[in-house]
Amino acid sequence: MPLDNVVFWVFAPVSVASAIAMLLQRNAVHAALFLIVNFFTISVFYLILGASFLFAVQIIVYAGAIMVLFLFVLMLLGVDRDEPLIERLKGQRPIAVLLGAGIFLELFFAIRAGIGFATKAPAGFDETVNRGGNAAALARVLFRDYFFPFEVTSILLIIAAVAVMVLASRQAPAITRAEQATAAAAEARATEPAP
Amino acid sequence: MLDQAWLIPALPLAGAVVNLFFGRRMGKAAGWVASATVGLAFAIGAAVLLDLLSLPAEQRQHVVELFPWIDAGGLSLRVSFLVDPLSLTMVLVVTGVGALIHVYAVGYMDGDPRFERFFAYLNLFVFFMLVLVLANDYLLLYLGWEGVGLCSYLLIGFWYERPSAASAAKKAFVTTRIGDAAMMLGIVLIFVHFGSLEFGEVLVERTAVGPLIAPSEGLYTAISLLLLAGAVGKSAQIPLHVWLPDAMEGPTPVSALIHAATMVTAGVYLVVRSHVLFEGSGIALTVVLVIGLVSAIYAALASIGQFDIKRALAYSTMSQIGFMFFAAGMRFYAGAMLLLVCHAFYKALLFLTAGNVLHGLHDEADLRRMGGLREEMPVTAPLFAIGALALAGIPPLAGFFAKDHIVNFAAESGRVAAWVVASVGAFLSALYIARPLFLAFFGTKRNDARAHDAPWAMNAPLVVLAAGAVLGGLVLGLQAEGGLLERFLEPVIGAAEHGHLGLSEAILVGISIVLAVLAVLVAWYVWASGRVNWAAFPERQPELAAWLANAFYINALYAWLVRTAGMGVGRAFRTVDDRVVDGAVNEVAEEIGQASRLASVLQSGYVRSYALAFLLGAAALLLYLGLRF
Amino acid sequence: MRTPISYFLVLSALLFSIGTVGVLVRRNALVIFMSVELQLNAVNLALVSFSRMHDNLDGQVLAFFSMVVAAAEVVVGLAIILNVYRRRQSASVDDASVLRG
Repeated sequence: MPLDNVVFWVFAPVSVASAIAMLLQRNAVHAALFLIVNFFTISVFYLILGASFLFAVQIIVYAGAIMVLFLFVLMLLGVDRDEPLIERLKGQRPIAVLLGAGIFLELFFAIRAGIGFATKAPAGFDETVNRGGNAAALARVLFRDYFFPFEVTSILLIIAAVAVMVLASRQAPAITRAEQATAAAAEARATEPAP
Repeated sequence: MLDQAWLIPALPLAGAVVNLFFGRRMGKAAGWVASATVGLAFAIGAAVLLDLLSLPAEQRQHVVELFPWIDAGGLSLRVSFLVDPLSLTMVLVVTGVGALIHVYAVGYMDGDPRFERFFAYLNLFVFFMLVLVLANDYLLLYLGWEGVGLCSYLLIGFWYERPSAASAAKKAFVTTRIGDAAMMLGIVLIFVHFGSLEFGEVLVERTAVGPLIAPSEGLYTAISLLLLAGAVGKSAQIPLHVWLPDAMEGPTPVSALIHAATMVTAGVYLVVRSHVLFEGSGIALTVVLVIGLVSAIYAALASIGQFDIKRALAYSTMSQIGFMFFAAGMRFYAGAMLLLVCHAFYKALLFLTAGNVLHGLHDEADLRRMGGLREEMPVTAPLFAIGALALAGIPPLAGFFAKDHIVNFAAESGRVAAWVVASVGAFLSALYIARPLFLAFFGTKRNDARAHDAPWAMNAPLVVLAAGAVLGGLVLGLQAEGGLLERFLEPVIGAAEHGHLGLSEAILVGISIVLAVLAVLVAWYVWASGRVNWAAFPERQPELAAWLANAFYINALYAWLVRTAGMGVGRAFRTVDDRVVDGAVNEVAEEIGQASRLASVLQSGYVRSYALAFLLGAAALLLYLGLRF
Repeated sequence: MRTPISYFLVLSALLFSIGTVGVLVRRNALVIFMSVELQLNAVNLALVSFSRMHDNLDGQVLAFFSMVVAAAEVVVGLAIILNVYRRRQSASVDDASVLRG
C-alpha cells in the first residue's frame, strides 16, 4: 500500500474525531486542546499534498500562535466554566445538525459531479512545481506574482496590532445607565435632609 | 326709437348703481331718482311701441344687438334684445306698474334706516325683469330669471333682523332654485338639439319635412316640461308654491311689485314665449292646464282660510296665475296675457291698499282685528273695493273680461269638465277676495286704534292703478275674439282658435256674471252682515279650519320629506364614512400592525438564530448553484 | 501520490460542516470562534488540494494568505470578546440579546 494512502487513512479519522470532540466538549479549554490536535492532522495533510512549507507554518502559526492566544484569553477571563447543556433556542440543535449534514451532502455531490472519486493528482509535482524545494518555489511565486498582496498583508498585520492595542487597553469599567440611576438614587437617599 | 330700446333696462340699472353708491347722501331723493328711472323707462317703452306700431304687423320684430357676450365652443351669443309685441307688452306692464309702485314706496318706506338700499334693490329688480322679458335668447332670459330671483331674496329679507323674514327669503330662493335647475337642463337640451339659443332660431315652426325638421316629440316634451318646472317655481304653482305666502314678510311694495304684478308672471311669459316648443309636445300643454287649474282651486280654498290679509292676497295671486296657466294650456295665450295685464293692475292695487291698511293700523295684518275701516280710511276703502270687484269679475271692471274670456274659451272649445272646474274657481275667487273687503272695511270695528288714511303722495299712484283696473279690460279685451291685445300679440303667438261649441256666448257670459255676483253676496252675508258668526268657525269646525288655514298642510309635508330624506341620506353617508372609509383605513393600519408583530418574532436578539438563518440561506444558495451547474 | 484528490476534498467538506454546526450550537463566544477557525482550516485544506490537482502553487499561496489574515482576525476578535466580557461579565453569546424585538 502506498505511503500517502496509509498516512491519509490514519490521520483522517483522527482529524474528524478531534473536530467532533471539540464540538462536544463542554469545557472550553478541552475544546481548544482538541482543536490543536485537529490542526496537527491538517498540517500532516499539507505535507502529503506537497506543501511542506505550509506544514511548518500551520504548526507554528495556527497551533503555536493562534491557539495559544485562544488559551491565553480563555484562562485570563476565566471562562472555562462548563457550558450548561440545555439549549434555550427551540429547534436550534436539530436544525443546526441538519444544516451541517445538508452542507456536507451538497459538497459531497458537488465534488462527485465535478471531479469524481477516481482522479488522482498528476505525478511529478515535486520535480516540476516544487523545484528547489517547496519553500523556494513558494518564494518564487510569492515575491514575484503575488508581491502586491503580500505587502498589503503586512500592512494588515500592522493595523491589526494597532487595533488590538487600542481595543484591549484597560479602560474604566463601563457603567450602564441602570447602574447610574441606582447609584444616584442611593446617593439622594443618603443625603436627604432629616425629617 | 326702436334701436334705443336698450335704454329701457339700462335706466333702472343706472338708478340702482347711483342709489347703491350715493344713496346715503341723497336721502329721500333716492326714492324719487329710482321712480324717475322706471318712469322714464316706461316713457321710452311707449315711444318704442309707437315705432313698432308704425310697422306692418308681420314685421313687428326688431332685434337690438349690443355687445358680444359669450364665444365659446359652439355657443356664440351677443347681448341682444328682442322688441316685439309680446316683449313690449311685458315691458309696459313692468315699467308702468313698477313706476307707480316706486312712487308709493317713497311714502311707505319713509323713515326706514335702509331707505336708499331698498330703492337700489327695487331698481335692480326692474332691471333684471326687463332683461328677462327683452332677452332675445334663452341664456339672457335665464340671466334675468336668476337676477329677479336674487332681488326677490334681497327684498323679501329686507328687514333681515326678523328671523322669519330671513327664513322666508331663503325658502323662496331655495324653492325657486329647484325649478331653475330643471330649467337650466331644459336650456342645455335646447342648445344641444337646436344648436342655438336664440328665439329666432329655436322658436320657428318646424315641419316633418323640409329644411327645418322637427325633432322628436319626446324631445319637445322633455324640454317643455323642464322649462315648465322653472316656470312653476317662479310663478308659485303647485308643487313649488310654498315660498309665496311666506314671501309676504317683505315690505308691501315688494309684495305688490314682485309677487303680484311682475316676477311671478315671468313663468307665464316663459310658457307663452316658448309656445312653439310646448305645442310640439303632445302632453306638455295638458300638464300646464292641469297644474293651472289645480293651483287655482287649491289656492282659492287656502285663501279663504287665511287670517293675514297679505297671505290671503298671496294665495289669491297664486290662484290667478293658475288661471293664466290654464289659459296657456288651452293655447289661449292671448287670454293668458290679457289676464296678466289686468291682474297686474288690480293685484298691485289690492296689495298697496292693504299696505295702506297696515300703515294706518301700525302693522296690524290680522283680519280678525280689523273691521269698519271704511269710515276711518275714506280713500283707501273704495280703492280696495275697486280692486276686489275687479278681481271678482264684476263687469265692466277688468277682471270680468280677462277671466271671463278664459272660462268661456274652455266651454267653447269643448272642454266641458275643465269649464265646470274653472267656473267653480271663478266663483271661489270672487268669494275669497270679497272676504277681506268685507272683513276689513265693513262690519263692526274690532280694533281699538284710530286708523289714519295714507297721504296723497301714496294714494295718487293707487288712483292710476284703479283706473287701469276699471278700464283695462274694456280697452284691451272688449271683444271675446280679436280684442285689441289679442290682435296686437297675434304675430307672436299665432291666432287663437276660438271654438263655438256648447252654450252660446251670451249664456256663458250670463253664467259667469251670476256666479260673481252671487259670490259677492254670499261673502257679504257671511262676513259683513253680522248674521253669521264667522269668528266661531274655527271652534265649530276645528279640523276644516285648520286645513284651510294651513293650506292643506303642504308646507308640513315638504318639511317632513326634506327632514326625513335629508336625515336619512345623512345617516347613510355617516355609516358609510364610519364603516367603509374609516374602516378601510383603520383596517390597513391594523394589518400593518399585525404584520409587524409577526415579523418581530424573527427579531429574537440571539446571534445564533441569526447565524442559523443566514447559514440556511447560504446552504440553499449552494444547492441552487449546484443544481444549475 | 496515489490517494485520489477527492478524498481530501471530502474530508475538507466534512470538517467544514462540523465547524458550521459548532458555530450554531455552542454558546461560548470563544468556542464559536474556534469553530470558525476550524472552518477556515478546512477551506485551506481544500485550497492546497486543488493546488496539487492543478499542478501549480496558487492554491498554496492563497492558503498562506488565508492563514495570515486568520491570524490578524483572531487577534482582533479576541480583543473584542475581551471587551464584551469586561462589560457583561459573561462570554455567552445568548446574553448579548439587547436588540431583541
